[in-house]
Amino acid sequence: MSELAEVLRYREVLWNLVRRNLKVRYKNSVLGFAWSLLNPLMQIGVWYFLFKIILGNDEPDFMAVLITGFLPWLFFSQTVLDSTACVAQEMALVKKAYFPRTILPLAVLLSNLIHLGFAFIVLIGLFAFWRVDVNLNYLLVIPATLLVALFAYGLSAMLAAWSVFYQDVKFIVGNLLGLWFFLTPVLYPLHRVLGKQISSPENWLERLMANWLPYIKEIYVLDPVTIAIMGYRSALLHGGSNPIVVANPDHLPELAARQAAMQGAYPLLPYILGAIAIAVLTAVVGHIIFMRRAPLFAEQG
Amino acid sequence: MSVIEVNELWKKYRRPHQKVSSLKEAVFAFLRGQTGAEEFYALKNISFSVEPGEAIGLVGPNGSGKSTLLGLIARVLQPTQGAIRVEGRICPLLELGTGFHPDLTGRENIFLNASLLGLRHREVLKKYDSIVGFAELEEVMDAPVKTYSTGMVVRLGFAVAVHLEPDILLIDEVLSVGDEHFQHKSFDRLLQFKEEGKTIFVVSHNLDAVKRLCERAIWLDRGRIIKDGETEQVIAKYREAVEEWERSVAEARARNARPS
Repeated sequence: MSELAEVLRYREVLWNLVRRNLKVRYKNSVLGFAWSLLNPLMQIGVWYFLFKIILGNDEPDFMAVLITGFLPWLFFSQTVLDSTACVAQEMALVKKAYFPRTILPLAVLLSNLIHLGFAFIVLIGLFAFWRVDVNLNYLLVIPATLLVALFAYGLSAMLAAWSVFYQDVKFIVGNLLGLWFFLTPVLYPLHRVLGKQISSPENWLERLMANWLPYIKEIYVLDPVTIAIMGYRSALLHGGSNPIVVANPDHLPELAARQAAMQGAYPLLPYILGAIAIAVLTAVVGHIIFMRRAPLFAEQG
Repeated sequence: MSVIEVNELWKKYRRPHQKVSSLKEAVFAFLRGQTGAEEFYALKNISFSVEPGEAIGLVGPNGSGKSTLLGLIARVLQPTQGAIRVEGRICPLLELGTGFHPDLTGRENIFLNASLLGLRHREVLKKYDSIVGFAELEEVMDAPVKTYSTGMVVRLGFAVAVHLEPDILLIDEVLSVGDEHFQHKSFDRLLQFKEEGKTIFVVSHNLDAVKRLCERAIWLDRGRIIKDGETEQVIAKYREAVEEWERSVAEARARNARPS
């Protein structure tokens, strides 16, 4: 806990680094801060065009599904990516002065939280424009964000420490995040994965998948990023209720029945608790790894 | 009551045979059974203490461990063995100005740097004008630091450091910063510092500057303290040793050059 006291003592450094991160990211761009919102919106526009218009996806509220999934994902992936380089990038400061090194990944985490906050404000504006009922259930995004932030901090600290010693880490991280993106329900609703059945496997890969499918699904739902995305969808699209149920039983009775069965099979609470445990464990382990490496940072590079 | 107390301090570095900076190389080196590094001590059993108000010059040839010692006192490095106790606020001027961010303005860098050295925002606000005045950079404070000349960066770094009112000032090879005029000014500022009873620790190859500023000097060579005492005597001995060494090198060269 003396570490926490140290960080508090050096909080001005933390704020200055956060301010600097925010300023430097969109330096020399005409639209500046607006990019933290324009960027994800343009990306979402591309996906919407691809999946809805070209491929004819019939998912209800597809645009809302994309936005609510992409915001927490972008926060997570950007934090992890920025943090991986954060110590190596600040070597000049690290070699020049003492300050608790935890401040470096914390500054990245906080600046990305602020970006998320800005994006969120615009999202609420858009919802108001679409006349979506903005209500207190939206507050559920706060614990969902905390969950993914905790998880991101653990991974960030770990990767930041390792990448000081091994250049490879940052390349690996970039590619893993690219894969991870598709392993979270950003581009599709969760029930697409949970409802997946392989009845007649045609090749070895499908046979393997068919055998392990229940376990794969379990692991999939335990991912703190997935749970955070579900939290966002529950808060913003489903009035705080279990986000697996999407269809209106009056219009699509068959789909609604299938989803209701899934909800029984996957009562989310144990998965939420599991994801919290994973996030806390990752944060603690990542922090310990970082702290053990921190005294050696100034001797590198 | 001493402000710095260094007790039986050892610092070990690992010097890699080949620089291993990728996982692949590390794995191959491991498979070949190479440990990949040779260990050496940059500091060997260093002990001394510093009283408040002392100005100490650290002299010695390149690679003698001077910068490592300052880094350890500044808490940037960790001792391998032994202990360092430091009393009061310490302001390290190691590699002057490199803590500046090129994309931020001079003004923003002052605040960032000051916070790194432990100052609160309002304390810096009070001193802002005199920092800028001392650096003589009034016109460019809102321009990014990357547009500054090297001399300007160095001046700003020095100005920030001497205005933070630290109890201990660590200076690594920056006595000759800026132009002639700024050198005089910064030197006067250091003398004033001393009069205020602050502690100064200087690493420099400018022995005359060390003599003028410091009453005590420590001579380091290959990680050991050779001599610790009154500046005049230590520097005289150090110069003798350097001359001795140069003479022997010259003689050896002459011997080798002589046709047989």
